[in-house]
Amino acid sequence: MARNKVIFYLNGEKHEASGHFAQMMLSEYLRHQLNLSGTKVVCSEGDCGACTVLKLSPVTGHSRIATGSKKTDSSIQTMRNSFLPINSCIAPVATLDGCHLITVEALAKSKSELNHVQSKMVEHHGSQCGFCTPGFVMALSGLAEKRVERQDLSPLKEKEVRNALTGNLCRCTGYAPIIEAGLDLNLKNYQSLKQKFFRSQFQEDLIQSCKSPLAIKEDRLSVYAPTSLPELKRILKAEKQIRIIGAATDLGVVHNKGKTRLTHFISLHRMSELYEVSFLKKNMLKVGARVTLTELREITKEICPEFSQFLDIFASPQIKNVATLVGNLVNASPIGDTLPFLLATDAQIHTQGTSQKRTLPISNFFLDYRKTALKKNEVVTHISFHIPNYIKLFKVSTRKDLDISAVALAFSVLQNKKNFETRVALGGVAATPIRLGKVEKYLNENDNSEVTLRASLRLLESQIKPLSDARGSAAFRKLLVKNLFTKALTDYQAQSISSEVNS
Amino acid sequence: MKTSLPHDSSRTHVMGQSEFIDDRPYFTNEVHLDLVLSPYAKAEITKIDSSQALKIPGVIAVYTAQDFHHNYWGTIFKDQQLLADKETFYAGEPVAIIVANDRDTALLAKKMVQVTYKKQQPINTIREAIQKKSFIGPSRKIERGNIEQALSQSPQRLKGTLVIRGADHFYLESQVSLAIPKDNSNMEVHSSSQHPTETQHVVAHALGIPYHQVTCIVKRMGGAFGGKESQAAPFAAYAALVAKKLNRPARIVLSKDDDMIITGKRNPFENDYEVGFDNEGRILALEAKLYSDGGAYADLSTSIMERAMLHIDNAYYIPNLRVEGQVCRTHFHPHTAFRGFGGPKGVATIEKIIEDIAAIVQKDPLEIRKINCYQHDGAQSITHYGQKFENNVLPELFQELEKTSRYYDRRKEILQKNKIAISENKELLHGLSLTAVKFGISFTTRFLNQANALVIVHRDGTIQISTGATEMGQGVNSRIAVMVAKEMGIDPSQVLVTATQTDKNGNTSPTAASSGTDLNGAAALLAVRKIKNRLSELATHLMNLPRERWANKTAGLGTEKEIEVSLFDPGEQDPNKNADWKTGVATYFNMDFRDGFVSHVKNPNQKISFSDLVVEAYHNRISLTDYAHYKFSGLSFDKLAGRGNAFLYFTQGVAASEVSVNRLTGEIKVLRSDILMDLGRPVNEDLDRGQITGGFVQGMGWMTTEKLHYSANGLLLTHSPSTYKIPNIQDTPREFRVDFFQNDRNYKNVRGTKASGEPPLLLSISVWTATLDALRAAGKDVSKIEIPATNEQVLRAFYPAEFS
Repeated sequence: MARNKVIFYLNGEKHEASGHFAQMMLSEYLRHQLNLSGTKVVCSEGDCGACTVLKLSPVTGHSRIATGSKKTDSSIQTMRNSFLPINSCIAPVATLDGCHLITVEALAKSKSELNHVQSKMVEHHGSQCGFCTPGFVMALSGLAEKRVERQDLSPLKEKEVRNALTGNLCRCTGYAPIIEAGLDLNLKNYQSLKQKFFRSQFQEDLIQSCKSPLAIKEDRLSVYAPTSLPELKRILKAEKQIRIIGAATDLGVVHNKGKTRLTHFISLHRMSELYEVSFLKKNMLKVGARVTLTELREITKEICPEFSQFLDIFASPQIKNVATLVGNLVNASPIGDTLPFLLATDAQIHTQGTSQKRTLPISNFFLDYRKTALKKNEVVTHISFHIPNYIKLFKVSTRKDLDISAVALAFSVLQNKKNFETRVALGGVAATPIRLGKVEKYLNENDNSEVTLRASLRLLESQIKPLSDARGSAAFRKLLVKNLFTKALTDYQAQSISSEVNS
Repeated sequence: MKTSLPHDSSRTHVMGQSEFIDDRPYFTNEVHLDLVLSPYAKAEITKIDSSQALKIPGVIAVYTAQDFHHNYWGTIFKDQQLLADKETFYAGEPVAIIVANDRDTALLAKKMVQVTYKKQQPINTIREAIQKKSFIGPSRKIERGNIEQALSQSPQRLKGTLVIRGADHFYLESQVSLAIPKDNSNMEVHSSSQHPTETQHVVAHALGIPYHQVTCIVKRMGGAFGGKESQAAPFAAYAALVAKKLNRPARIVLSKDDDMIITGKRNPFENDYEVGFDNEGRILALEAKLYSDGGAYADLSTSIMERAMLHIDNAYYIPNLRVEGQVCRTHFHPHTAFRGFGGPKGVATIEKIIEDIAAIVQKDPLEIRKINCYQHDGAQSITHYGQKFENNVLPELFQELEKTSRYYDRRKEILQKNKIAISENKELLHGLSLTAVKFGISFTTRFLNQANALVIVHRDGTIQISTGATEMGQGVNSRIAVMVAKEMGIDPSQVLVTATQTDKNGNTSPTAASSGTDLNGAAALLAVRKIKNRLSELATHLMNLPRERWANKTAGLGTEKEIEVSLFDPGEQDPNKNADWKTGVATYFNMDFRDGFVSHVKNPNQKISFSDLVVEAYHNRISLTDYAHYKFSGLSFDKLAGRGNAFLYFTQGVAASEVSVNRLTGEIKVLRSDILMDLGRPVNEDLDRGQITGGFVQGMGWMTTEKLHYSANGLLLTHSPSTYKIPNIQDTPREFRVDFFQNDRNYKNVRGTKASGEPPLLLSISVWTATLDALRAAGKDVSKIEIPATNEQVLRAFYPAEFS
């Protein structure tokens, strides 16, 4: 039996949304359906954070978490049990089925008494015009929630505060007073929102109410949130053409700008299989379609620190709390930040079609500008990639943080039996992310000591054809690629020399 | 621990309870607007066909230029179309209004309005406009001394050009308006506007109704920064047109994309200069030709140019100076006010010139700045427009900051660091720069330097004030409330500054030019003092009258003679006159207002509570409401002659910034900024600190990452935060120190304060000059670096051959 209403908890109260409200963005639903107008909308694209709310994801059953480290496994579990900041302006209501949400209206202790985060923001003059303020308060609360969930009540560090607020833009304060407010938080005086709003009976109620999968089928509207692969398969077969939504952090933007309509879609967020993360084989990590980038950052912290750190300058915390590696892959943008990494680690793509599963190598995945080898109604369920023996990742953008790259470069070395093979992959220099086959061949066929920078650069230049656009001119991009490659190669050569010396 | 009072809305801000226009629940019969925009910079409109759009369910109407009673508006020249009629003059110019039952429908249906264009060749650059003599307003000139002679006699001369690009305001709340039709054809317009009076006028004029039928209300803005000084008005006119046509409330809420595409930016400038100087780096003569891109319409560009010309000297005395300014008409959005107005474009130019000079005479640029700095007295204290620079603290500011920022020690360290970086081919180079600002406070258009305030004292002793000042986050309401509360000796929580509306305060000036508190705060004080004067006189009577004979006990019976006070108006125009300089408070009839009580200065023990006094005033039929008008005095600037006192006083400051520049990627990182500001005696130091950090970081964005990119058709392509990069929280200086210079001598302004809104932005130029410093350390030619110094600009300097 399917269910035709989205069910979620909002500020400790149960809500149901039916019909076209399921495809409405949460911010719009809050502001003009529920008159909760504290949540603001500025950019409608997840780049400013004014619409930040907190979300506790639904219980996802028994998805497998086996990252090779017990500590990491449990920290992923903790994350999945926490209220995390998200951008409500690009979150279709259907993607919140089974969730708990908290908005700025619920923070204050009472009508006259502010909570600790709010008091500190007032005390330190963290708010001027006030339009970005609710978003900052929510994002900062998200940081406090995270710490409380981890039972770490030590003083916040400046880096932590800045990182937590990277997804929020303020044009008035110059951020200094907001940082001060964050640093002055005493988590011992902070009342956890989870404690305040989360009751086990709510959770029970949600599990019961949301047992049947969401399926809204109306005139010009098909919205699904299946809970298992067989169900997903059935929908894929039944629907002529339907969009698959991981988190809608890109499709939501396109929808908001009136360029497409999100009226026929499947949200994958209720499928516990897709939350899996495990080793497919030694040195090959398999990541489910619903594993978020925040989780991935944690997962790769020890096994691939370069990638983990790279994710710090990928999007915003709000985006990373919902967006996924698979989403970045299927979006297939030539400037998708993780794509050079996936190309450089020989990733494999696991899919579910209307009838069968298949596995594709990433080298055959990108066909043309935003065109992939996926067939109609074929869903990427997992992606697996090799943990490289050596990797360096670079990204250059107009602004360091929360910006789309002008170019990105991945330089890796993978062990293939006894051989070590170099991979060089680029984003932002062609219609798709590319591998530099000629350069790789040259590097792999020649001894390290014989490889020259000049020869490599000549091959590199023959392989790239960047465009001029808002993010930079072709000449700028070309120069960047050359500079980044030069650095990657010289660093690698220096490193291999020193490891030879050491060994 | 902060001690100053927080912003008056801060509690509701953090609770999400502060109401912005679009936070208002929809009226049941409300309609929603969207705009059809021209995709071409210059085109003839041959046909607008709305038949397809009107077929879409939920679409109510499509309006075009013909529907306005008057289709033209403009602050200085009425040259701008509300809706493009027969021609479009910029890409993004609104052509038609579409009205629907809900926003989504309007958004989708606007694409169905079919407009047929005949494309023409637009003017896309300042140089092209100069060549084609496409100008707005006449060329202006300010001149002192004999330029030709001084230049020819200078031991050193150099020529250069500084290219300054535009920047978007990126106020978080995009342009928005809600118009509610009232009976008898009256119109209530809620607008996010810095200038409610102009919005009222534009709406009335557009609809063809008299001014008194339009009330414009501004509760607060979600940021403005100059972008809502003139350019909020057309959106109010759109909403009002629809409200009038349909007799239903009408709302327009721009998306960030449309806001950025439609509205004008900070004017781009291209400034050519020739400077003569001696071998010490002393400037002897400067000839500067400033050209700005005004965009398609005049807007405020001619005034912006004037301020640029008046700030070409910045902190430096230049004996022979000729500055000419010409606004160019191109086919871009009409460029407009943005924090600093023309100031930063003049200041950046002279600061760049100083960098050039330092490179030639091979001195630390700070030395050049100091030897050219304005002096306290004599010829070297007179600006190029003939105004004496009074209350000059620049020499002291330089001296103090070079000490507290350890400028010279760090200069040595950086020299060393860069030497190593270059010899070892490391990625990061460091740069350090200390720059100054001297910012003139006043509108350069004299008649704008006036304000009025209405004060109502209620019978519980609380006070409501309304002025023409609009609240955009800067805290003008809090500042006014604090000043008034202090004057009346009551707690600031007893004072409320209400929404700005044109039926309470008419003929107001925009809240702009940093002057909001100066003008409106002074007007509020003058109004409050009229009441204070009456209350003081009343108190002298009450001190000798037993309580049982007071009017609130007896007035109903009429047994006591009514107390009459002379309706004497202190009549002051100067808020500092008759006020104690130290406290800023005026005393009448020797009555002291303090802590909610009133007593004779000589007998502090006999007290009457403020609220009792107010009640007595009412029962004795003494007015508790008053109004005052205030204007800056002593302004004498003659625009045609380019001579006279253009400003009431100058806000000053200095900043030292250190950056690192990445030679591989061109990325700039601000490592440390030390700021020292002279804000006189701040009313609220923490609010001022917020203006300083906010203005500085806002300026940093313009100096580094904020890049406007247009298509060949002149359409803005960087129209959202995904492509237009304002600073985020990771970009602020890693070390950020803000200090105030003690200055008790600004007798010109209310309570000895100085305006803080715009000046700090100009100190962000230090980040740009520090970048030049780092590039010079690598021996690079910096003469072509533009503002902003994006990473592409920086790499161009490092690898010029790659870009040729």
